[in-house]
Amino acid sequence: MVMHFFDGRSVRRARMVWRCRQVVYLAVCSALILSGLACTSTRQRNPNEIIYWSSNNPYEIEFARLVVAEWNRRHPDTPVRYQPVPEGQSSEEVILAAVVGKTTPDVYSNMWQGDVEAFARAGVLVPLDTLPGFLEFLYQRCDSAVVREATSEDGHIYQVPWKINPIMMVYNVGLFRAIGLDRPPATYSEYLQAAEKMKADTDGDGYVDRWIGYLNVNVTWWKRLFDFYPLYLAASEGAPLVTGNRVVFNNRYAREVFQFLRRLYAGGHLPRDPMEGRQDPFIAGQVATQFTGPWVVRYLEKFKPEGFEYRFAPVPVPDDHQGPVYTYGDPKNIVIFGTSPNPRLAWKFVRFMISKENDRLFLETTDQLPRRRNLFQDPYFQAYFEKNPRMKPFARQAQYVRGTDVCPVLKEVFDAISQQFEASVIYGVVPVDKALEEAARRVRLML
Amino acid sequence: MTRRYTGYGFVLPYVVHFLLFVAFPVGFSLVLVFHRWNIIAPMEFVGLHNFHRLANDALFFRALGNTLIFLLIHIPLQIVVALFFAELLNRQLRLRGFFRAAYFLPVIVSGVVVTILWQRLFSYDSGLLNRLLVAIGLGKVGWLVDPDLAMPSIALMATWKNVGLYIVLFLVGLQSVPAQLYEAADLEGATAWQKFRHITLPMINPTIFLVVVLSTIGGFSLFIEPYILTGGGPLNRTLSAVLYIYKEGFFFYHMGYAATLGFFFALLIMLVVVIQKKLVEREVTI
Repeated sequence: MVMHFFDGRSVRRARMVWRCRQVVYLAVCSALILSGLACTSTRQRNPNEIIYWSSNNPYEIEFARLVVAEWNRRHPDTPVRYQPVPEGQSSEEVILAAVVGKTTPDVYSNMWQGDVEAFARAGVLVPLDTLPGFLEFLYQRCDSAVVREATSEDGHIYQVPWKINPIMMVYNVGLFRAIGLDRPPATYSEYLQAAEKMKADTDGDGYVDRWIGYLNVNVTWWKRLFDFYPLYLAASEGAPLVTGNRVVFNNRYAREVFQFLRRLYAGGHLPRDPMEGRQDPFIAGQVATQFTGPWVVRYLEKFKPEGFEYRFAPVPVPDDHQGPVYTYGDPKNIVIFGTSPNPRLAWKFVRFMISKENDRLFLETTDQLPRRRNLFQDPYFQAYFEKNPRMKPFARQAQYVRGTDVCPVLKEVFDAISQQFEASVIYGVVPVDKALEEAARRVRLML
Repeated sequence: MTRRYTGYGFVLPYVVHFLLFVAFPVGFSLVLVFHRWNIIAPMEFVGLHNFHRLANDALFFRALGNTLIFLLIHIPLQIVVALFFAELLNRQLRLRGFFRAAYFLPVIVSGVVVTILWQRLFSYDSGLLNRLLVAIGLGKVGWLVDPDLAMPSIALMATWKNVGLYIVLFLVGLQSVPAQLYEAADLEGATAWQKFRHITLPMINPTIFLVVVLSTIGGFSLFIEPYILTGGGPLNRTLSAVLYIYKEGFFFYHMGYAATLGFFFALLIMLVVVIQKKLVEREVTI
């Protein structure tokens, strides 16, 4: 209807222009799509180049930078490209996405020990014990107990035990002194007695505002790695939660831990209100103890008020406990992904990265402990501990740490415990025996 | 011919978007329903196992119950509060524009920001609400710590966050009520309550149902508030259905089971909305 304003030539010209535009648009769109596909498709990897992802902790990034620079200086023909694990809600989520997209690095150095079994079963990790020299190196570096801990159900080893952060009890020396105690509580009874004295209403508003400690009240499974689990390991001298697809945590040690913490909550010695997102209650003097790792040293040194005195001690144990006090070591290990075009070269780099020299560099750069035997006794590392006496308790504790059990549903195990922990320990609405039996029942269903 | 292709060209972006981001995920989820899959390992066909697990999953039904409790508190509260403020703002008040904007402001603020703000307000030891209560001689309240109070507290917060939107809807409804009806009622000597009860409420009935439908759909998708405020606790009393599905999917990577829960939940919402739609239609025809 509109066309009658134009003559035939104009119409043809308009059509031609329109078609030309269509061709141009199509070409541009195709180019964009093809370039996008080219970017996302799996690139042919250079077998002489290693891609390494470190943790995104700034100290570990610095360590990675130093190690990679040294490697590249010594091995210009087989360079390493490193980057911190890409940002995401959790590094585990990022690694999962990378596995699905087949964009995993050759080497990843922040793998939580509890995740390894699931990745190993999925067949995405290189069985390191098949690489020449691996087992000799590992047995030289670690105790046989550590090697056993790192061995998967199929008998292969998919991870290199790398670092630990033993969970200990940090305590406010001044607060303990104020209640007449010159040493931290070592047993449940001592802790309960100290808790009784520590509970106070310091501002006189009729409400308690000082407690012996604080445990994260969130039911998220991994929170139990920092309260229930270290106490369970301490009470049981490092007993497993599950072994060979069998639930073994429903035992007297778990009952003792549950009962101990339940008494603390029932007596109002541990607050039920979440304390995250406000001034650190330990620094503020609102709580006298915390279960934490060596990472807290740098933090406290930076933020503690003047005159604030703190020390570390093993986590409390049942009154009749004898022998060493074990704890959770929060181990993070190194893995080589199956996408690596040259696993032997990747292993060579890992071996360099965790050499004795680089372990010392790691210790100095990050204040985290390399998982190697006799770390504290080895004169090679002594200078560091003399310079950093706050780290000595952790190095001593490092002899008595456990990681996690080899179990493909470990998160579910901790979730089952955490659900019952909340009901029985924090709110006291389920008897301890029943709570542990229920958690065990849930885990049995999954196993 | 060219015009026909031009039409396809215009439709193409939406079709591509729909296929990529709606049809494919829904279809893939349907496949997942019959499988066990943790993302990294190959899928394993498990037949109806996920449905069997759903039927025996007490925690999921508790999460559904929690969501229902939330809706039962949230929807009436939302309607009463929104209607109250809409009535006020429909009058010739000073600073009416300011108040209208102020009430709407929480709607446009990020849900995460609002939730973190309320987390501070609700804090047992240091929260502003408890400080005020103590200051006036009342005791502290365990807003998020007391298992019986946690979900009502979340409903209170969600109402504060969303009420602005419903105030606007009610304002539109109130302004569409013919003024002659009120004038006639005045001549008959009707009181303010009688006018509200017998004129305003029946006239804004469609708006009320619209608010109920929107609140129901919004309430079913309750996630941010319990995720940030309580993580589903205490004692799973604030574990909403969506939060539970999220945990199954992205905490434990039970993708097949999470997809099954998602489908079941989507069907449930659809059913409720269809029932509500029927009710709305009936009310409007009356």
